[in-house]
Amino acid sequence: MKVRFSEVAPYAALLAGAAYLYHDTRRFAALGRAGQLGPDFWPKAVLVLLIAVCAIEIVRRVLAAGAAPERAAPRAEAPAQAHDEEPPREWRLLAAGIGLTVLYVPGIEYLGFFLATIVFLAAFMWVGRYRRPRIVAAASIVGSFAFVFVFMKVVYVSLPLGWGPFRVFSAWIMAALGIR
Amino acid sequence: MQDVLHQLALGFVHLTTPVNALALAVGLVVGMLVAVLPGLTLVMGVVLALPFTYGMGITESIVLLTAMYLSGTYGGAFTSILFRIPGEPLDVPLLWDGYPMARQGQPAKALGWVLLAALAGGLITAVSAVALAVPFAKFALRFDAPEYFAIVLFGLSGVVALSGGSLAKGVISLCVGLLLATVGVDDTYGADRFTFGIPILKDGIEYLTVMVGAYGLGEVLTRMEQGFVTPAMESDRKVETRLPRWREIRPLRGTVLRSSLIGVICGIVPGAGATVGSFVAYGVEAQYGARRNKLGTGIPEGIVAPQLASTATVGGHMVPLLALGIPGSGATAVILGAFLLHGVQPGPQIFQTSGDMVYTIFASMFAAVIGMCLLGYFAIKPLIWVLRLPEAATSAFVALFCFVGAYSARNSLTDLWMIVIFGVVGYLFERYRFPIAPMVLGCILGPVAENSFMTSMIAYQNDWTIFFTRPISGVVMAFTVLALAWPLYRHVRGVLRARHAAPRIGGLGPEAKP
Repeated sequence: MKVRFSEVAPYAALLAGAAYLYHDTRRFAALGRAGQLGPDFWPKAVLVLLIAVCAIEIVRRVLAAGAAPERAAPRAEAPAQAHDEEPPREWRLLAAGIGLTVLYVPGIEYLGFFLATIVFLAAFMWVGRYRRPRIVAAASIVGSFAFVFVFMKVVYVSLPLGWGPFRVFSAWIMAALGIR
Repeated sequence: MQDVLHQLALGFVHLTTPVNALALAVGLVVGMLVAVLPGLTLVMGVVLALPFTYGMGITESIVLLTAMYLSGTYGGAFTSILFRIPGEPLDVPLLWDGYPMARQGQPAKALGWVLLAALAGGLITAVSAVALAVPFAKFALRFDAPEYFAIVLFGLSGVVALSGGSLAKGVISLCVGLLLATVGVDDTYGADRFTFGIPILKDGIEYLTVMVGAYGLGEVLTRMEQGFVTPAMESDRKVETRLPRWREIRPLRGTVLRSSLIGVICGIVPGAGATVGSFVAYGVEAQYGARRNKLGTGIPEGIVAPQLASTATVGGHMVPLLALGIPGSGATAVILGAFLLHGVQPGPQIFQTSGDMVYTIFASMFAAVIGMCLLGYFAIKPLIWVLRLPEAATSAFVALFCFVGAYSARNSLTDLWMIVIFGVVGYLFERYRFPIAPMVLGCILGPVAENSFMTSMIAYQNDWTIFFTRPISGVVMAFTVLALAWPLYRHVRGVLRARHAAPRIGGLGPEAKP
């Protein structure tokens, strides 16, 4: 009897998270009025359902693995999904992609939207294996200009300008684009 | 009826204002582009367009998004037929007959059939939306809190039951969405729920960040992990459209009738939608079509049925969205989000309070159908040029749209972190094959469900049987039980059959398997 960790892990993680949140509902359970359902009722009902479904799925997978170890457990997915041929997964690319998106947020705050966006676009294309430096550079700069113009001048969104000298630079770019 | 036609005529007049006409044109072009690009889904495109509507009026916003939705059901057909690249999941059945027809040297004819199907499906869907929405709304005026709760529950259960094939994963996704909707200060008691002392969470989690993060950034991360491997476009393929003749169309009357009906019904039933409509129409054609034995060899029925049904779902989806405020699909959930962002709650009253807007939207559906067909006929060559763009570059810009779109809602950097978090959640959902649509719908409809439930409980002294004893809510609850029980029954039956069949196959040995 052998259950693949990846099959059970999402349900176990959700189960643990739901159990923690269920415990957290005690903090606001006392705020309800006598004779009425309190503010904890609805989230508790949803959490009970979530915990029950996760528990059933874990048990089902464990039992399926135990009952027929030589056969794969019956897949719950649609046939089309289950038999789709998928390209190989490259976790390094994924990690780089997540890393870039994570860095972009503080990047916007400190460098300002214009500079951070140039860096983000260029890095994303490069990491995504598009290795034509001139096109990458041109697309990043033109793209960043276009976003600043459309969102700040047309849609009136106040995009972050950054800190210190970067703020001065962002203000200079805005002035060059005629944005006040 | 006369009143409806009069209002519709006024809607056409309103549509001629430059802003509405521009929104319609932009929506059609962008919808086509989104559907053509394999890395972008129709829902993702509608989500990414949402931030641009902040500065617009409500009517042009909905016209833009609806036009994108309609043309998005058509644009992906070109790449399916010509290059064997389905732009959307709903275009997959077009591979089975559209691509073979193109390979037989008739790509122009295949494109002609798909244009005709999109035109027929679009006009049928627009007519059905106009005809059904008002009776739906009048009926909905009788609803009280228990009925609303029952309807919302039915909508959510339908989406769960029909999304992705796994009931358990659908329920889990829905629960996550419902829980996200509970974060913040609750409406009934003013209690802080799941805020963990973080001030920004008191305002709740913006459903926009959930939608944009999970659909947009999640998809980008998924494709990045796969190394952006969309096959390159064959540049020498000729792109032109040749419409079929009347004598070729006449034998397909049965196909048109069946697929129209399937499309409209799949639109009205929450969760069914364009992809389900497309597959069901092809399946029905394979079972009942006059030339069912030739399906898959490149016959027109295999192109017309899925395309017509998928386009015909759009109007069906608009009916419960406008009349009840219940979205039945990912795209209509985003359109509901646009309504709410502009402070308009769709529901039975909307026909009285915003009749002009509603009929302008209906008029825009007719115009969008004509416009998308003209666009498909004359401008498809430049549109599919976008397939030559490197996927890494388009994905970088999609990710950027996600960030800017989420930031624009509240000018808050916290929402950017939310985008990253829900982007990773969306990726994990894709990775482990959890459907995203129930989470998004749970997030949007969660507050409606909770408020109508709590109001019912307060009004009827915690008597939960009220949902089953009132006639309308009782019927709807029965449908809800059916919607949940049917896939469960199918699943159990499938498992039992597999268990029954397994020893027999095993006994015959591997060489006996097909």
